Amino acid sequence: MYEPDGDMVIDARNVTLTLGEGEGATSILKGIDLLVPRGTSVALLGASGSGKSSLMAVLSGLERATGGDVRVAGADFGAMDEDDLAIARRGRIGIVLQAFHLLPTMTALENVAVPMELAGISDAFGRARTELAAVGLAHRVDHYPAQLSGGEQQRVAIARALGPRPLLVFADEPTGNLDAATGAKVMDLLFARRAEAQATLVVITHDAALAARCDRIVELSDGHIVADRRA
Amino acid sequence: MNSWRTAWRIARRELDWHFRGLRLLLVCLFIGVAALAAIGSLTDAIGRELAARGQLILGGDVEFATSGRAATDAEMEAMTRIGRVSTTARLQASAVDGDVIVPIQLKAVDATYPLYGALTLANGSRVGAPPPDRAWIAPALAERLGAARTIRLGNATFRIGGVIAEEPDRLGEGFALGPVVLVSNAGLARTGLIQPGSLFESKYRIATRGDPQVAVDRFQRTFATAGWEAKTRDNAAPGATRFITRMGEFLTLVGLAALVIAGIGIGNGVASYLAARRASIAMLKVLGATAPLILRIYLLQVGLVAVVGALAGLLVGVVAVPAIVALAGEALPVRPSFAIEWRALALAAAFGWLTAIGFAIAPLAAAAQIPAAALLRGVTDQRATSWRRTAPWIVATIAAVVALALTASSRPWLSAGFLAAVAMTLLLLGGLGIGIREVAARLPRSRHPLVRLAVAGLHRPGARTAALVVALGIGLTLFVLLAAIRTSIDANITRSIPARAPALFALDVPRDRLDEFKRTIVGVAPGAEVSAVPLMRGTITGYANTRVADLAELPEGAWALRGERGLTYSATLPAGSTLTAGEWWSANHAGPPLVSVDERLARVLDLKLGDRLSYTLLGVERSATIASFRRIDWETLGFNFVLVFSPNAIADAPHNLSATVELPAGRDSVVVRALNARFPSVSVIEVRGVLAQVREVVTAMAAAIAAAASVTILAGITVLIGANAAAREARTYDSVLLRLLGATRRQVLVVQALDTLFLASVVAIVALLLGVSGAWFVVTQIFDFVWAPGWAVVALTLLGGIVVTLAVGLLANWPVLSARPAQALRQL
Repeated sequence: MYEPDGDMVIDARNVTLTLGEGEGATSILKGIDLLVPRGTSVALLGASGSGKSSLMAVLSGLERATGGDVRVAGADFGAMDEDDLAIARRGRIGIVLQAFHLLPTMTALENVAVPMELAGISDAFGRARTELAAVGLAHRVDHYPAQLSGGEQQRVAIARALGPRPLLVFADEPTGNLDAATGAKVMDLLFARRAEAQATLVVITHDAALAARCDRIVELSDGHIVADRRA
Repeated sequence: MNSWRTAWRIARRELDWHFRGLRLLLVCLFIGVAALAAIGSLTDAIGRELAARGQLILGGDVEFATSGRAATDAEMEAMTRIGRVSTTARLQASAVDGDVIVPIQLKAVDATYPLYGALTLANGSRVGAPPPDRAWIAPALAERLGAARTIRLGNATFRIGGVIAEEPDRLGEGFALGPVVLVSNAGLARTGLIQPGSLFESKYRIATRGDPQVAVDRFQRTFATAGWEAKTRDNAAPGATRFITRMGEFLTLVGLAALVIAGIGIGNGVASYLAARRASIAMLKVLGATAPLILRIYLLQVGLVAVVGALAGLLVGVVAVPAIVALAGEALPVRPSFAIEWRALALAAAFGWLTAIGFAIAPLAAAAQIPAAALLRGVTDQRATSWRRTAPWIVATIAAVVALALTASSRPWLSAGFLAAVAMTLLLLGGLGIGIREVAARLPRSRHPLVRLAVAGLHRPGARTAALVVALGIGLTLFVLLAAIRTSIDANITRSIPARAPALFALDVPRDRLDEFKRTIVGVAPGAEVSAVPLMRGTITGYANTRVADLAELPEGAWALRGERGLTYSATLPAGSTLTAGEWWSANHAGPPLVSVDERLARVLDLKLGDRLSYTLLGVERSATIASFRRIDWETLGFNFVLVFSPNAIADAPHNLSATVELPAGRDSVVVRALNARFPSVSVIEVRGVLAQVREVVTAMAAAIAAAASVTILAGITVLIGANAAAREARTYDSVLLRLLGATRRQVLVVQALDTLFLASVVAIVALLLGVSGAWFVVTQIFDFVWAPGWAVVALTLLGGIVVTLAVGLLANWPVLSARPAQALRQL
């Protein structure tokens, strides 16, 4: 079993998540304990329905846990409402999703600038331009998502997630919608950018090779952590 | 960080500047604001024109009018002290050229006429009163007379000196039966038409530099009981002004209904737009946007589009006035010049924006509550909006709309009733929609998959059943309402009235020659029936303890207090009247003067039996005691009187008789000629002509109402298209999956048709009830007509409405059906 030490960026204890009400209620997370030290990388592994994405949603403040304590980057997520969680994410948490989810009516540059603008970072566009250059998209800044390939869209999503220099980056199956070669390049980029930013990384994946690139692997099954080891 | 500035920057970037997704909002607001701006601008422009041209319309700064007599020396002296006086007289007469006899309005003027403006003839010459042996005639009469060079008026023959091109005080003269013939006062004397007891109106127009109202007040104080009706240039055409104001208010309410209906489209449009933005909103939340920020971003987008839509509507309002003036031409009382009517435009814009906010706030608030986790869930994850947050806003905007509508109306209760009816209709339809959804959810599952799917479409999460029912219900209700109103009005004009109307009216029949009059008619038309009644003109000056002159405003429905009324006396209860209270006087009643009053007027004025009623007759004030109330059958088109006196009350005043004549078919012209030969001073009016004139007026009013109502239908159809578009997302999902599973396009079409047909059938029943109730109210309470709808037309219109809605529904979903499944799948 992995024994974390140092300054914890994620401190989750006995976390439960139940969706729906009454007879239709489904228990998704059933008492998760997870500590993640600053600057480390963690892979969340597990079959479909094991609770990986839901755990990520709770840890990134996209979903409020039904029970337990969740502290992320020093903030007590359990005591926050939706808006407080949104504010807590600003500049501190970056998220990369499988389906990219770029804002379709905004250019690549604008997509990357938005979280920095929301975080009140001055020169959001200058930094967004630098971020896009760093992911090899300097020539695509004025393109709309629909004009970009899948790999390019995911690179924009990485730039968007890392632009505000977050403490923590979550990536949910970031290569799931990409071919193997493009996926590998995107992951190289994600790890490289994360290292430069010295951010903590939590990756959800089915890919054992990708998981092996992380410092630590956490396996979930039926809402429980069933394994937690160094990679 | 300035949150509004950030919201604006994101809103600007995120907005599609072709307004894709927000076009329903744009179109709905445009239609509603355009209708209100056009109606308001036209009403204000006409009102302004009437006010600005008051001097011209009145023919002076002050006018004093009375009936059956000229001013006394003292009265004339008082008028001369006010300013320069122009004397005119007006009466109903006949212009005769051989066999052609035309009812006309004879107007006699003095040498000072016109005090203001110019009387011009068709040849361009500016003229005054014609020489004593000549007459200026209206174009309509010239057309009837053809090449005639002379006409006979009463006992005198006049040369036609010219055709009138412009009579400056035409509008101020009010409603007239027949075209005008203008002669000099000396010419009028030659006709012999003015005899003691003759029905004529004397008008004294005065040009003064003093304050007209002060002059009127002083004159009225001096001659308080003489029965003078006074007008000033500031209210030169009260009838036209009143008509325009009321018509304008009614049309404004119709426009407001269109806007409220459009509001549903706005709500649906905004909801669809935000539903399509769901992923973006969730992503913005993921990136750190708060609910207030999301609300501001989309409020700014919606607000911007609302501004564009409303501005386009206002532009229509600006250009509508010259366009309607060009199209309607003579149908308008005046032809206003081009001007921007700021008050009307501001009101339309305020109504538009308030409606937009009122209907958009709920979907906007719901969008702001979309959780970041929505990115991980499907479209069916709907969280309940917090009504505590949105309700105050919605209530505030509704209150503002109602307050604005009531403030702008001179009859707030009518407006309030109308708005309440619209609100009730919407609530009822909304409730029906929810009911259908609940019932569909509880129905036993059909074994047929297509039926099962169609029923599921009505109640599944995200189904827009309520919105569809409201849109559909409004459309069908409007169809029914208009069909029932239209057929009822047509029936009133073409069937009811002519069947019960006499063929002729005759005015100024000498009392001592009534038998000769009857013999003349029966001689050429055996079987004719003549009913004659005494007819005088008088003014009600007071009732109970109230002086009419002291009333700041006449009570609603008390039209009998306005100006002069026809007065009569009778020993027996007149035909067409039913006694509802009190007793009729004995045939030889010789006690105190008594009067019988129309029960409706009695109700409006809160009169009691035994109250005193004072009135002026030929310049002398008299009074009588109210002895009874009567219900009058106004539809007989005979002579009906609000006031019927006991003979001893008024029979001593000089007067003539008026008669209605019922004739065997085809004898009208023969009788008119025979009467004219023997009674040249009697005015004979063919009812056919009067009805044609009434029909013209009613048809024009019906056309104006239909035009305004068509805007509501347009709004209804737009809402329906919008509701269908909103429901398309869920249907797309079904359609794509069905086709993936092997369903043919026809089968998918059947599912959607079943869905729409079921809704339309249920809604049609409710729409029939609502539409018929609304039409009944408009026909019987607003127009005061008989309720006689053409049920076949109503049913066909309803059926047509269902077919149209079905077609709109299926056409709206055609793109989904025609797309390849794989292509559609990618868009899910």
